[in-house]
Parts: sequence; structure tokens; C-alpha cells
Amino acid sequence: MRTIAAFILPLIIVLIPLYGLLKRVAVYEVFVVGAKEGFSIAVRIIPYLVAILFAIGMFRESGAMEFFMMALSPILGLVGFPVELVPMAIFRPLTGSGSVGVLAEMIATYGEDSMIVKMAGTMFGSTETTFYVIAVYFGAIGVRRVKYSVQTGLIADLAGIIASVIVVNLLFG
Amino acid sequence: MLNYIWAGLIIISLIFAISQDVMDLIQDPYQNGKEHKIQINFPENGDRGKRQNVRFSIQGHEGTFDAAWRPYVDNPEMIITVDSDMPELWLKIAQDKDSSNEDELLAEVVSFDAARGTALIVLPEVYYVKLNAIATAAFDMAEFAVTLAIGLIGIMALWLGLMKIAEESGLMHILVKGVQPFMRFLFPNVPKGHPAHGVISLNMAANMLGLGNAATPLGIKAMEELQKLNPNKDKATNAQCMLLTVNTASIQLLPPATLVALIGTGVNELMISILIVTFISLVIGITAAKVYERFHPEDEHLENIPENQKIEA
Repeated sequence: MRTIAAFILPLIIVLIPLYGLLKRVAVYEVFVVGAKEGFSIAVRIIPYLVAILFAIGMFRESGAMEFFMMALSPILGLVGFPVELVPMAIFRPLTGSGSVGVLAEMIATYGEDSMIVKMAGTMFGSTETTFYVIAVYFGAIGVRRVKYSVQTGLIADLAGIIASVIVVNLLFG
Repeated sequence: MLNYIWAGLIIISLIFAISQDVMDLIQDPYQNGKEHKIQINFPENGDRGKRQNVRFSIQGHEGTFDAAWRPYVDNPEMIITVDSDMPELWLKIAQDKDSSNEDELLAEVVSFDAARGTALIVLPEVYYVKLNAIATAAFDMAEFAVTLAIGLIGIMALWLGLMKIAEESGLMHILVKGVQPFMRFLFPNVPKGHPAHGVISLNMAANMLGLGNAATPLGIKAMEELQKLNPNKDKATNAQCMLLTVNTASIQLLPPATLVALIGTGVNELMISILIVTFISLVIGITAAKVYERFHPEDEHLENIPENQKIEA
């Protein structure tokens, strides 16, 4: 699988223009026309990204996270969800860099072979920073009313979080 | 929903920052204004009236530390170099004080005994740490958002250029035909043979292989294609919500590069668990999106009108 992944990008980048040449497309000229959009899209994303990221940044610095961890721990402990994973579960949908930090800290504390780190790693690999994706994808096309996509994104994240604990327990427990 | 979450994040941040800072005012964890007794060792024959580098020890604490002696006439100052062996309180003040340089502490010398070299110093006062922190975070992240977006320009341009060639050459058409059945299930409102199907399938493939650099530009391109079918440009369509859902809950055949970097070879084991978990979350995500679709049927008929017919009507 790793080999396929290593080949796929260079192949796509070469094969698309090659196929275009065979079909007598003015590849260079067409490429430039398409690429021209890149700048305007990136600029269009900026307000959406600023809105999402600054709110998340404030939340991260405010110390509210520690409070929620304390508040949630007893409840989660009752249903058998490891309390150590709470920061990862809360951070992951919000911030990519933040959850990397959480994971690195957990590896340092518990060791990379521990069950907790296996769960956290699975969680990290399985879920997405939903709010960032919403800002970028909907920002690029100027959609402000995102309807139920926040809910479905978070439902998928929650499913991933819960499944991580169960699956790792079944596989390595 | 997003409105409430967004406002919630900001309001909760403010409430927590204020309550933390008020607690600090009451409990005074930084012991603001406290006089610390230190013993300064001047270099041999050093003139106390001149600027010079000195070492000093803190009463009741082991070790000696570096500082720069600034003998201003009315009140001398010391620029203390922060050292990890210093008392906890000093380190905490260094970290949380206003000025950005965490490696230095500017201490005011309130009394100085030139003969014995003893002095009483006052460290910088620390107030409203959390309020400052959230304000700084807001500005920093705003700046970071622009860096992120600007960083996208090049990769976006590359992929959009390639996609344009794929469209013009008919390659996209071939791809669309191949993925038609699955795409018709996920995006029933998108007309048959629409190029959106091709870009979406490329985006999903890039996601599965953990190719973030390709997945994001392709996802954006797919959103654009779906936007062409959107009668209400301001509001997301069901198809766009589905695309977003499959992007946040994509199956991962390969773990993301960051995880490999952090966990190392142990990641091989996690590949299996990640594969199973992502499959579960994708199924649940799609199901959830399909359920929500039922409650938002108003978009359906509008979405089915292709661009050209809409102009005629």
C-alpha cells in the first residue's frame, strides 16, 4: 500500500498531461487557465478560516478545556471510556496542530506501546478536524449557511472516537 | 448550528478567562509585589556604580544565577536570565508576564546593601494572564489562518491546472463513467455524467491514501462543481453536505504522515485499527447524512435543474 501511495502522485501528475497531449489538447495553455483560479480560491477562504481558527485559538487558551475534562471524566469513567483520552477527543475535531501536541504528550507520558496511546493514535488517524474542513471547503465556494454538515461531520467524528476505543480493545486488549 | 458553536467557543473562552483571572486576583499565585532577598556576587574589584554582569543566589534556594546589573541612580534594576533551576514562582512569573521575552525577568531593586552585596528585589507583577492569553491567541490564529490560506495557493493552482487538462482531454469523462453507480447513490441529486462525480472520486481516493496535499484542492474543486448546480449560492446543498461528510470521515488505507512521524514503526499495528474505525465512521457518517437529507427535501427538485436549463427557465 505504501508503494502504491508513493507512485500514485507522480503518476497522476505525469499521466494527465500525457493523456492530454495524446488527445491534442494545448496542455500548457489549458493548465494555466485552470491554475489561475488557485489564487482567488485561497483568498476567498481567508475570512472563513480566520473566523473558525481565532475562536478555536481563544477556546484553547482560556483553560475551558481543563474544566470540561474535569467535568466529563466521572461521566465517561462510568461508561468505560478512558479518561486520559478526553483531551484528544475534544481537541481532534477542533485543531490539527493542537491534537498533534496532545498525542505527542501522551506518547511521552504513557509510552508508545501502551493501550492508551494505541487508542489515541487510532483516534487521531481516524477522525478529521471537521471545523477546519468546513471552513476551507465551504469558504472556497462562499457558502455561509452550512446546513447540517456540522452535525454529520461531528457524528462521524464521535463514531470514530467511540469505535477507536472498542476496536483497539478488541484487537490488542 | 455553526453559529451557536462559534459564538459558544468565544463566549465560553471569555467566561473562563475572566473567572480564572478573578481567582488569581483573590489568591495571588504570583505573589505580586513580594520582595525577594538575594545575595549578589560582583566580579572582583567591580564598581557597583557601573553596568556589569553579576551572579546572584536567592535566599532559601540552591544555585546561583546570571543577571545584568543596571545601577540607575534612583532605583537600580537587574535583568535576570531565566534558568530552569530557579524557584517555581520565578519561572511561572517569567512565563506568564506581559512582555514577550520569556528568557528574561526585569527586577526592580528596592534596597541594596553595597558592603554585603545583599539586595531586596521585586519581580514583575502579573495580572490578567488568561485575558491577555485569549486576546493574543485570537490575533495569532487570525494571522495563522492567512498563512494557511496563502500556503494553499500553489498546490491549489497545480491541481486545478491538472483537472482542467483532465476535463479538456476527456479523461474526466472516462472516470465519471467508471464511478457512476457509487456516486449516484451518494449524490442522487447530481445529474448523471456530471464532472462533479469524477472530481469527487479523485478527492475520495486521495483521502483514502492519506494524500492531504491532493485531497484538499480536489475537495475544493469538487465543491465548486457542486456549487454550479446550487440554486441558492449562499446555502449548502445536500450533495455538498454529503461531500463534506465523506471528507471528514474518509476511510484511511494509509495513516497520515504526522502519525507515522510521532509513533514510528508502531504505526503498522495501528493501520488495521484505523482501517476498521474509519470504515465504521464512514458508514455512520453517510447514514447520518442520508437521514438528514430526508428532513431537507426542499432542495431536491431545484438541484436537478442543470445550469443551462435554469437560464432558459
